[in-house]
Amino acid sequence: MKYRYQEEMSPPPVQRVTDVAITRFEHVFEVEPGLMTEHVTQQTFPNWDTLRLVRSRADHLAWMHRHFADKVISGEELLDDLDE
Amino acid sequence: MTVLLGDPVLEELRQILGTDHVLTGKADRLNRARVPAPFPVHRWAERMPDLVVLPASTEEVAEVLRLANSLRIPVVPRDGGTGLTDGAVPLRGGIVVDVKRINQIKEIDLDNRTCTAGTGINALKLNEVLARHGLIYPDDPASYPCSLVGGRIGTSGWSLIGSRYGHTRDLVLSFDHVLPTGRVIHVGDGIGRKITKSSSGYQLKHLFMGHQGTLGIATEATLKLFPKPEAEFSPFWAFEDYDTAYRAVGALARAGVATFAGAVLFDEWKVDYLRRDDEAYIPQPSSVKALVCAALYGYEDEVRAGGRRLLRIARSLGARYLGDEISEGDWAARHDRYATPLHGRTRSGQVVPMSWHCEDASINYTNLPAVRLAWHEIADRLRRESDVFDDWGMFAYTNGATGADYLTEIDIGIWEQRLDDAAWAAWVRAKRDLAAVALAHGGSISACHGSCREGEVDLVPAELGGGYDVMLDIKRAIDPNNIMNPGKYLLDQAYAEKS
Repeated sequence: MKYRYQEEMSPPPVQRVTDVAITRFEHVFEVEPGLMTEHVTQQTFPNWDTLRLVRSRADHLAWMHRHFADKVISGEELLDDLDE
Repeated sequence: MTVLLGDPVLEELRQILGTDHVLTGKADRLNRARVPAPFPVHRWAERMPDLVVLPASTEEVAEVLRLANSLRIPVVPRDGGTGLTDGAVPLRGGIVVDVKRINQIKEIDLDNRTCTAGTGINALKLNEVLARHGLIYPDDPASYPCSLVGGRIGTSGWSLIGSRYGHTRDLVLSFDHVLPTGRVIHVGDGIGRKITKSSSGYQLKHLFMGHQGTLGIATEATLKLFPKPEAEFSPFWAFEDYDTAYRAVGALARAGVATFAGAVLFDEWKVDYLRRDDEAYIPQPSSVKALVCAALYGYEDEVRAGGRRLLRIARSLGARYLGDEISEGDWAARHDRYATPLHGRTRSGQVVPMSWHCEDASINYTNLPAVRLAWHEIADRLRRESDVFDDWGMFAYTNGATGADYLTEIDIGIWEQRLDDAAWAAWVRAKRDLAAVALAHGGSISACHGSCREGEVDLVPAELGGGYDVMLDIKRAIDPNNIMNPGKYLLDQAYAEKS
């Protein structure tokens, strides 16, 4: 495991998704920075922390599924059944 | 009432509860002065209780109420404080009774499939214990991780999966209830704690649910349990217009699938809102104008069969399945809406901190399109008046398995730090207008939250008609000194002649 400050504070290049959203990491969306300049300003996050937040949310949602049911049925699978 | 250190009331409460369980600190009181409902932050001080008590048993609650009744001190019960109609907000100072310490599980009856617990327990924590027995208590509000059973009783709450399992009124079999005078009664179907159907006497259970703390405090409840579902299926579909999505949600709800736990319709304004900030919808093509989701719970073979049927129906109506990742992620997030950090936009598009305010009504299926348009007109008016308000779109959730009516909600972001008297007055006027639209379309002012806030409450007598006069008579008979949550539901009128 390594931690280099410069690497962590240099996020991947921005890709515009829509007029109001950008992405830097795959499947991780951020508000277009120009919209966060007057009343709420953006915080600087190290890369690991951005990814930790996203993964934690995913962990929480997976936990919520397990909490309510033992198994989640796949719609894609059921649609395949219908097509057969 | 102003309670100062050394006040005899304070000393007497300490005798009843112990010194540690009588709180007078500013932070203790500030934190129990509000709920997530729209709140006039600039007038926070007007909602402050004088003190907070933390009883640990029915007997302690009864002693507190006996004392308060004898001295005519206002009492406001507080559970999770997650309600959306100010039930737990003190309007006249007094004592807040915080029931969180009454949270023990007293019994799990595996043979009769019931559980008895203190009303300060949270359903998530209760279900962690019940899961060890393969059981679940399926009362599932958007505040699932933080609301408490007692608050669900006091508000007669609505459950996300109520179309399959019923809502709080169906799931709570009976409870101990402390009347405003301090007398303890047990209410349920008949006298039984675990009886699910009785025709003996008046059906008092419903009277003591949904009263928003105006008729006393529930302290111990016996709850109906179900097998923990083996499987869950929660498909989300996209549509190119609202009308098609509306037809689809109706068809899904009317399909009669036994494992059907609920369906939700998202309108165009909601989709626009989600496109700003929600990772599931930001990348969706612009042709997506409305969404529908459904949820099924039960044994795997049942859920698979029901799921195939719903997928067939949706496909026949032009729906596009959004895939497993979005479907699973978004559904899981619906159990926990209170955890979402929120922000809105000014009219120029700048991000501002806003809190979420969800205004609800019960509306029949056939009236959903008209109510939607009328409600958005009201939200547009607010938006035009001030950057304090933002229209976050509408949902319609099935109330039951037959698809007759829907919990219809419009979500409005409010920049609370910028609220002033003018903005608050605009909000109250909008609230009254939203309620009026619901009534004009044959609906009820609220399916879930209750209707005792400024604005909407003005229309409750009109909604209930002669029933409201009965409500006044009941309030006066049960709470002769008007100590329980005074100022709510216009119930002061019950004492007008007396005073």
